[in-house]
Amino acid sequence: MNLARYLISLFVILSLNFAIPRMMPGDTMTNLLGEDVILSDDLVQEIRREMGLDLPLREQYLMYWRDILHLDLGYSYHFHSPVLPLVLDRMRWTLLIAAPPVIIGALLGTLLGALSGWRAGTRSRLQMFIFLIIYSTPPYFLALISLYIFGFHLGWVPMKGFYTTASPENIIHHIMLPVILMSLFSASRNYMIMRGSVIQERQMLYALYARAKGLYDSQILFRHVFRNAALPVITLIALDFGFIFSGALFIEMVFSMRGMGNLIYSALLYRDYPVLQGSFLIITIMVITANMVADALYGILDPRVRGR
Amino acid sequence: MSCGVSASKRSLRSNPGALIFLAFLLMAVLAPYLAPHDPWKRYEPYLGPSWDHPLGTNDMGNDILSELIFGSRVSLGVGLGSAIISTLIGTIAGASAGYFRGWMDEVLMGITDIFLMIPQIPLVIVVAAFLKPSSITITLIMGILWWTSLARIVRSRVLQVREMAFVEAARVMGFSDRHIILTDVLPNTIHVIMPKFMLTVASAMIAEASLSFLGLGDPNAKSWGMIINFAFTRGGFLNGYWWWYMPPGICITLSVLSLVSMSLLLEEDRVSEHVAS
Repeated sequence: MNLARYLISLFVILSLNFAIPRMMPGDTMTNLLGEDVILSDDLVQEIRREMGLDLPLREQYLMYWRDILHLDLGYSYHFHSPVLPLVLDRMRWTLLIAAPPVIIGALLGTLLGALSGWRAGTRSRLQMFIFLIIYSTPPYFLALISLYIFGFHLGWVPMKGFYTTASPENIIHHIMLPVILMSLFSASRNYMIMRGSVIQERQMLYALYARAKGLYDSQILFRHVFRNAALPVITLIALDFGFIFSGALFIEMVFSMRGMGNLIYSALLYRDYPVLQGSFLIITIMVITANMVADALYGILDPRVRGR
Repeated sequence: MSCGVSASKRSLRSNPGALIFLAFLLMAVLAPYLAPHDPWKRYEPYLGPSWDHPLGTNDMGNDILSELIFGSRVSLGVGLGSAIISTLIGTIAGASAGYFRGWMDEVLMGITDIFLMIPQIPLVIVVAAFLKPSSITITLIMGILWWTSLARIVRSRVLQVREMAFVEAARVMGFSDRHIILTDVLPNTIHVIMPKFMLTVASAMIAEASLSFLGLGDPNAKSWGMIINFAFTRGGFLNGYWWWYMPPGICITLSVLSLVSMSLLLEEDRVSEHVAS
């Protein structure tokens, strides 16, 4: 049942990807090749034929699907490379700074959020305030300021790139600040949701019952309340994956790292549409996969769903 | 219900977030009277803060404080505009799905499910890249794409409301569906719409700032994000001209913070009321 939902989503998104360059103002061929490409008139006709742009839309659509099934996302004239390998190569690097924050942020955010929702006090208010500020700042702005302070002024971290020498320590040194920043962003979102969730669960009868049974406070929180309150967070972490990933794109641009973010940035500068669309497609497919994984996980963690 | 709304109004009044947001709104409305200079007029470039130019001037010699004050119009305008559009669409979709149920529910929620999974910012980037950047197109794109999570929230609330006795009474009295939705269902849904509306304004403002940073913003409208973008690309950061890039960043953070805190407050009110009743 759920699998069907994901497949339909995928189908619609791929079709959207077909429709966008054809719906947008301007010449479809330019929209498909990118505005960086300058061709002679003869060549224009030839390529137009080759790409099937003189065929009816229905046949173009079938051609598009044939290409997709052959894993062909087009060719970037700006980068002189087929789009798919280009995007996948950059994707690995972006995942390096986007994946750890998803996990760190989930752990940090849910744990602190649960404690703060459980016991309101001055410390929890201060914590809430700090996370609220992080939540409210555009990721790239915080990245710019921390780069300025920790990179430029204090010299603790390198100013740009993923590595200078390709040793693991060197890479870690380079990605440290971006990963910390992304983790804070991810944590701030999970913190707010978890805090609200625990405040709601705290008032439920089972929590009162656990107290009446004579359990310690921390036992009630971690044995009972935490498990129930964490459930909505799991789905949100998956939906948030797209957000974290987008945040990583911007942080890459600030730190001049050669990942997807920079790829998209230069694709934007040269209006290299195939790369833009390819990147969008790959990111979407990744987010859908993350959601599927979360769904499966949810089933394992929540027995009520497992039974269905 | 009416007592619930007034309770949230009361707590909003004592919230600094509401005051801050009101101040920004006033700043946007009264921009021509507040700004010391014309934001397009050129003075000596790269001036530091002084009495005449409290936040100095940028690379083109424009007075940064005046840019900042006029920028509130663009940033708030895009945020409010796209939130209003998406709230309208989301409310209509969610209310019809929840009220009529059946095939309409299936179709609308199916669409919502699909849209929810598409990463928003990358999609906006792709669509904005094809179109000529202007504040209005960006507002429209975000407005049209961002209604899905609200539609879900409205739907689940409408599902509850439609079973309540007064709605049934109205149906028995023979009022039309449209009348019932507008006078009975929606007024009892507004308190779940408002917090979400504020969050949408907030995230649209952050998105606008991010798009401007990518150069996808309106180059003729100096939004706060655009000022940061100029400071970044034209050496404001490397030269340490904090008076150029810090104020617009602080303005974005403060206005988003005020919206998020208002939204949280309304949400908490609703939850505690729900438990109390």
